[in-house]
Amino acid sequence: MDLVLKAMSLMKRRTTAPVRLLYGLCLMTLAGVTVPAHAAGDSHRGEDVFAQECAECHSVREGKNKKGPSLFAIVGRKAASIGDVVYSDALRQSGLTWNVASLDSYIAAPRKAVPNGKMKYDGLGDAKAREDLVAYLATLH
Amino acid sequence: MTNKQNSALTGLCAGIARRCAALLLASAGLFAGGMQSAHALPSFARQTGQDCAACHVGAYGPQLTPMGVRFKIGGYTDTDGKDGKIPLSGMLVGAFTHTKKKQDEAPTVHTDRNNNTTLDEASLFVAGRLAENLGAFIQWTYDGTEHHSALDHVDVRAAHTFDVGGKDTVFGISVNNNPGVQDPFNTMPVWGFPYTSSAVGFGGGDAATMINGGLEHRVIGASAYAFWDNSLYVEIGTYRALSQAIQADTGQHRSGDMGRLDGDTVYWRLAWMQDWKKQSFTAGVFGFDTAIQPDRLSGGPQNHYHDVGVDASYQFLGTRTHVGTIYTSYIHENQTRNDLFTKGEATNRTGHLNEFRINASYYFDQTWGVTAGRFVTRGSRDTLLYADGYANGSPNTTGSILQADWTPFGKEDSWGAPWANLRLGVQYTLFDKFNGARHNYDGNGRDAKDNNTLFLFAWTSF
Repeated sequence: MDLVLKAMSLMKRRTTAPVRLLYGLCLMTLAGVTVPAHAAGDSHRGEDVFAQECAECHSVREGKNKKGPSLFAIVGRKAASIGDVVYSDALRQSGLTWNVASLDSYIAAPRKAVPNGKMKYDGLGDAKAREDLVAYLATLH
Repeated sequence: MTNKQNSALTGLCAGIARRCAALLLASAGLFAGGMQSAHALPSFARQTGQDCAACHVGAYGPQLTPMGVRFKIGGYTDTDGKDGKIPLSGMLVGAFTHTKKKQDEAPTVHTDRNNNTTLDEASLFVAGRLAENLGAFIQWTYDGTEHHSALDHVDVRAAHTFDVGGKDTVFGISVNNNPGVQDPFNTMPVWGFPYTSSAVGFGGGDAATMINGGLEHRVIGASAYAFWDNSLYVEIGTYRALSQAIQADTGQHRSGDMGRLDGDTVYWRLAWMQDWKKQSFTAGVFGFDTAIQPDRLSGGPQNHYHDVGVDASYQFLGTRTHVGTIYTSYIHENQTRNDLFTKGEATNRTGHLNEFRINASYYFDQTWGVTAGRFVTRGSRDTLLYADGYANGSPNTTGSILQADWTPFGKEDSWGAPWANLRLGVQYTLFDKFNGARHNYDGNGRDAKDNNTLFLFAWTSF
């Protein structure tokens, strides 16, 4: 995601607006990323949700892997892509890239989203809380 | 050896026959009122990759959060999936103990009658995952007040998770040496508040129920359990007495042998846990039935103990910045003292003993904590069973415990994590009544409040 943003920044200086838009869409498509950023939730509330639901197993610090992987820069990251973490085969083979939609779906029901995954979490049923949580995760860069 | 242990053994020397009888029941109190083993194990944190605070209220054991409950029920086997974790830990508890009035005799031959600075415990643990579905918590402890070491708590588990009706269900087996040491809820006596207490002061009266440490480390038992959908916990098991030779080999004093347990000894547990993440709630019932033959002779009279308890707890966890807990339990024990009565060591063939405990704690930022607890022990009178050291043949003791502590490490950003762990605390135990009376409970002018105990402790693990 960072690469996409850097590329778009470069294009800003060298191309016209319609071309920039076209290039941008192409880059997004190539990166396999759904535009994530404008998660509608309240990121401040989401930070509390994170502390209540996630922090026992996940850190938001870059490079700090606990029982689960660091969630720093999670949005835009390919699932099971941190080298220092032991993932389930199911997650490695899921082909998921974490964006607003896939995070929401996974947090709602991890075992439904990724059958035979190893995350021991029953899921967060409260849609608003999930929205806030994903909004918070989207701020972690 | 605690002051209560010392007191009981002094009584033993003064009149062998009657004291042996008293020892049988009072020994439960020795453990109950004596030093509480303390545990906080960094090897678990290293194994799981989690912070101590994930599984422990206040970032230090043994007070478990719902995640800690699940870890224990799962057989200490949960892991971050990485190899090379060594399931070894160590622990030290250093303390200063002051009683309001100096004790009649020094609690141990290595301590003074008051103002003792001691190494209460130095423990080594094999604690954690041994194989995919096999884990252990095995503790060997050196008691610096007695200059003696012995096998402490043992809990070896095999556990596996199955799908039952679409719900995760853990099935497990625990082999352990203390009824209740396998329980995950911090409401039963073994793991209840206070989580550490003075080895040379006063923690409670001398009388206690059998499930309150009466058979601690003198038995071996096995129980099977199931935990359905992270909510319903059921367990049933049985125990046998260790032979005197094995007790000696594991460092237990020969004088504390309880005798032989009847083959029908049963331990059982039923509980419900509701984990809402921001808060959790448990409620349950438990029981322990045994008959003990003190002289170990076949066909001889036995003393029967029938313990039934109810318990509940509540935790407000929130964002873990402000954490509050409440724990309570009530145990009723019916005693049928055929052996004691036959030997003239109890006035009444039957009797009962009740124990009520409640405590509440608050932790700020998983670092600063205060806890207040109340304990009440009441039972039927018996002028022979509760003779020396008791007033009016009564086992009644009531009091309160206040504690404040500081736990600087054990969080995500803590220095030295997960190796460095420390809790510094001050604890004060106040007695309203001790061994049957407020005043002159021992006949020598000692009042209950004279046993009020100030306990300063430094508790570290690595």
